[in-house]
Parts: sequence; C-alpha cells; structure tokens
Amino acid sequence: MMQFKLFFRKEMLEMGRSYKWLWVPLVFLMLGVMQPVMTRFMPEILKSAGNMPKGMTITIAPPSGAEVLAQTLGQYSSIGILILVLSVMTMISGERQSGVSQMIFAKPVSYVSYAAAKWASMLSLVTASFALGYGGAWYYTVQIIGAVEAGAVVKAGLFYLLWLWFAGALTLLVSSLLDPAPGIAFVSLGAALLLSMASGWLPRYTVYSPGSLPQISAQWLEPAGEAKGAVGAALLCLACIFIFFAAAVYRIKLRYSKG
Amino acid sequence: MTRELLQVKGLSKRFKDREVVKGISFSIAEGSCAALIGPNGAGKTTTIRMLAGLLQPSGGSVVLLAEGRPVADPRPYIGYLPQMPVFYPWMTGAEFLLYSGELAGLTRREATRETGKWLDAVGLRDAGKRRIGGYSGGMKQRLGLAQALIHRPRLLILDEPVSALDPAGRKDVLTLLQRIRLETTVLFSTHVLHDAEEICDEILMMREGEIVLQGSLDHLRRTYSEPVIRLEVGGDEVSRAWLAAAGGKDFVVQSEISGGRAKLRVADVERAALELMADAVSRRVTIRTLEAGQSTLEDLFLKAVRS
Ligand SMILES: Nc1ncnc2c1ncn2[C@@H]1O[C@H](COP(=O)(O)OP(=O)(O)OP(=O)(O)O)[C@@H](O)[C@H]1O
Ligand SMILES: [Mg+2]
Repeated sequence: MMQFKLFFRKEMLEMGRSYKWLWVPLVFLMLGVMQPVMTRFMPEILKSAGNMPKGMTITIAPPSGAEVLAQTLGQYSSIGILILVLSVMTMISGERQSGVSQMIFAKPVSYVSYAAAKWASMLSLVTASFALGYGGAWYYTVQIIGAVEAGAVVKAGLFYLLWLWFAGALTLLVSSLLDPAPGIAFVSLGAALLLSMASGWLPRYTVYSPGSLPQISAQWLEPAGEAKGAVGAALLCLACIFIFFAAAVYRIKLRYSKG
Repeated sequence: MTRELLQVKGLSKRFKDREVVKGISFSIAEGSCAALIGPNGAGKTTTIRMLAGLLQPSGGSVVLLAEGRPVADPRPYIGYLPQMPVFYPWMTGAEFLLYSGELAGLTRREATRETGKWLDAVGLRDAGKRRIGGYSGGMKQRLGLAQALIHRPRLLILDEPVSALDPAGRKDVLTLLQRIRLETTVLFSTHVLHDAEEICDEILMMREGEIVLQGSLDHLRRTYSEPVIRLEVGGDEVSRAWLAAAGGKDFVVQSEISGGRAKLRVADVERAALELMADAVSRRVTIRTLEAGQSTLEDLFLKAVRS
C-alpha cells in the first residue's frame, strides 16, 4: 500500500510535468463544448457564407439537447479515444525500453503495486478529463440548446466513461506487451475501433461486448431512454479491465525474469 | 574466519539455444570486494542481473545469507547499479534519490536524511536540485551509485561502474568505491584489470560464460606469477638478429618477440639475466633495457582470456 502510494504519486507528478494534466483535459473540454456551440451557430454560419440562390431557405430542424449530447459522445469516440491512447501508451513500455525499470525492480518493490499505480493514474486522468469535457458539453447544451433530463445525461456519461476506461486499460495492457510506441497505438486503437464497429455490424452477438458501450450510452439519451444489455455490458467491461490488469502484472513480472 | 554473504552454485543462463553463462560457482565473503573481470560478451552483465534478481537463471542457485541464514527475497539487501543507468529525466537528482530510498523501504524522514547525505558523498549537492535530463554521464553514474547505496545494502553490485567515464570521473568513482568498500561488500564487473587491482581483493575472471580463474589477488599473484625477463635492444641489424635468436636459448621457457622488444619466460631469472648480458656484450649487441621480474596480473589476464 505504501509502495502503491509512492508509485501513484510519481505517476501523477510525471503526468503533471509532461503537461498531460493540462492538455488532455483541455482537448476533452474543447471537444465537449464544440458540439453544442457549433450546432447552435451552424445556421448563422451557413447564412453568412452566402452563395445561396435568392429565396431559398434551408430549414434545419433544431436538434434537441439530448441529440447534441449524443453527438458529443460521438466526438469522443474518435478524437477522444485517439488522445487517450496517445497520452497513456508509453506509460509501461517507455520505462522498460529506457531501462529505468531495471533500477526500480532491483529494489524490493511489488509488481502489483507498480501496475496498480499505472492503472489508477490512467483512470484518474481519463475520468477527470471526460468529466470536465462532458460537463462542459452539458452546461453549454442546457444554456444554448435546451434542457436535457439529468438522469439520462448522468447514465449516458457513466456508461461512456466505462468505455474510455476500457480503452485506457487495453492500451496499458498493450504497452506492457509491445515496445514500439507506434505499434502500441496501432494495436490499441485498432482493437477499440474493431470492437465498437463489431457492435454495429453484429448487434446480436455483441450485446454484452464492451464495444457496445458507446451505443448504450447513446440509447440512454434517446427519448425512449431504454438500453438493452446495459448492466451485462458494464459488468463484462469491468471484468475485462481487471483481466487486462492481471495480464499486465503477469507480463511485467515475466519480462523481468526471462530477460 | 569470514562469513559468506553470497553463494552461487552452478549458475547458468541460456537464451534460446545459446548458453551464455555456463554453470558458474563462486562465493563472496562478507566485507570483501570482488571484481568480475572479462572481455566484452563474457556474460558479466547476464551474471550480475541474475545475482540482482532481475533475471531468472536457467539453472543453479543464488543464495544470499543474512546473519548466516538464507533469505527468501534478496532484494532488500542488494544495491544495484546497471551498466548504463537511466533515470526519469523530468525528476531532479534529489527527487530520484528520495523516491529510491522510499521504494527500498525507508520512511520519508530517513529517506530525506539519506538523500542529503548521499548527494554530498557523491558530489552532487548543488546538481541535486536540477533535472536529471541535464546531467552528464559521470553525474548519472554517481547518482546511480547513490541510489544503489541509499538503503544501506549488504551487497553492492555494480556493472561496469567506470567504463563509460573519462579519467577524472573514473578516479572520482574509484575513490568513492574505496571508501564504500570499508562498510559494504562490493561486487563489480569491469574489463579493465587495473580498476580491479586498485580496489578489490578477490578476482573472478570470466570468459565465454565460464569462470576461468578465481581467487584472492594475492593468491593469484603468488601462484601464477612467473619469472620473466623483458628486453629491449637497439635498432641495428646485429641486435635484432641476436634478439630473434634469444628465444631459442635453453633457459627460455616461452618467448614473445616483436620488433626490438622481447618478453621471455625463464626458469631462473638470475642465471638467465647473467647469461643474456654476457652473450650480448660478447657480440656487441646494444641493450636498451633489461628488466628481470615477475609476470603481472595483466599478463595472466590476457593469457586467461585468450587461451
Ligand atoms: N536478452 C538476451 N537475449 C539473447 N542473448 C543475450 C541477451 N542478453 C545477453 N545476451 C548474449 O549473452 C552474451 C553475454 O552478454 P553480457 O551482456 O552478459 O556480456 P558482458 O560480459 O556484460 O559484456 P560487456 O563487457 O560488453 O558488457 C552476449 O553474447 C550477448 O549477445
Ligand atoms: Mg556488460
């Protein structure tokens, strides 16, 4: 426990000094706020762009607040995940490659604490960044678009957060397996993308897949507000995060014994 | 009677199908300083990483004894400095030492005190406040030494601690080691015999994964030193020809002759020296130097490594 605290403090300090605690939340906030603002001002922007034959008017049905929030989550599914993967992908592989971990593991430290601190700091960064971004999106949506039912917003947000946790945990696992950073990014992003696409193509077989979490959170925001398999998917996702963690611990231990 | 601190029996390591360390055995007594000497690729780093618990041996055992009893996890008792120490460049030297100390089990207060002490000891008192990213190789080596020592280990294991340093840095680190070895048992690897002779009393010579020679420095010097005559003659034809022929004399056991220099292993130095001089005078050979003495450890080392 003592060692976990030390490792965790070090991870937080490192994320601070490399400005991850600045730019990741900022990017998430920007992504979140952009959607409602763009939606609100799109008609004006189109109008001022001119070029339209006289007499023609475009009527865009103004979207509801819930729709705007769902679109925001869509933003996170692409750029959000990319930023997340890029910001945590070298957390384990970097130390192994540079060789610092040689010195760390020669001390009487536990591999579990070491990996747990990585997981905990990754989860903190993701949670804080998403909370800020999604909170910002919610605030602006309510201010300039229209009210949304709070329960649905929170539920959608929590399920989406689970999906981000899953992507982060997956990236850390890959980071414990592979050395080259581009490889880690490619594999993690590819796997996350495949999982979420699979849920679109084969909904019947992927009801509980973590890849269906983005859809589930979008469903919470729909007027009917009922998501199928939500609890199952959430539980399976948490189980996956834990399994990824255990696998990474095992992998880190093995690396230092097999050479 | 000194107590043993580390016992290594039949230690081996294979990577895929290559056996890199081939069943070596040795022990290190408490309070001694042992040097693991060997050329590049001998298996020093591999051996050391197994001793430090960073690499699982393919066979054999490494046992660390504390108060005469084997310990299950040797890591609390060991301080380790890798061949190329790497740190977190974004940390300051002092922060890294504090972190290492706490990871090794010191309380925050102890770690703080030891950090100050060791920064002073390795001469990084001012640099300790700066980021490690801006350190030179020598500074990193000294910081590495400090982090290996901060938890007062019983056994300090250093992998080529001076190989990457310039003569001044080398001198600094060796002086520091001389002081440290008064309190701590030290095992370090090197490919320079001179470094070992300067601070160590035990020698382990390695070649191609095997220990080819081991024992105390004194013992090795006594047992393996042989009477040797070193000769250097003038550059003229007569002298050169005479020198080339000198290797064939009956009292010469073995000879190494190149250009105007020769190293002759002989049975009896005094007799050989007298005969050589008399012979040289009678043939009007110009002798530049004639040195009668013993072969050095360097000779022994080269012989062990080459043969
Ligand atoms: N992880 C590994 N996988 C495969 N072979 C390895 C591995 N590590 C070391 N070797 C091989 O083992 C041999 C011994 O390497 P080692 O690093 O122990 O030598 P060394 O004595 O420390 O040499 P140097 O003086 O260059 O540091 C080398 O031939 C090397 O190629
Ligand atoms: Mg080496």
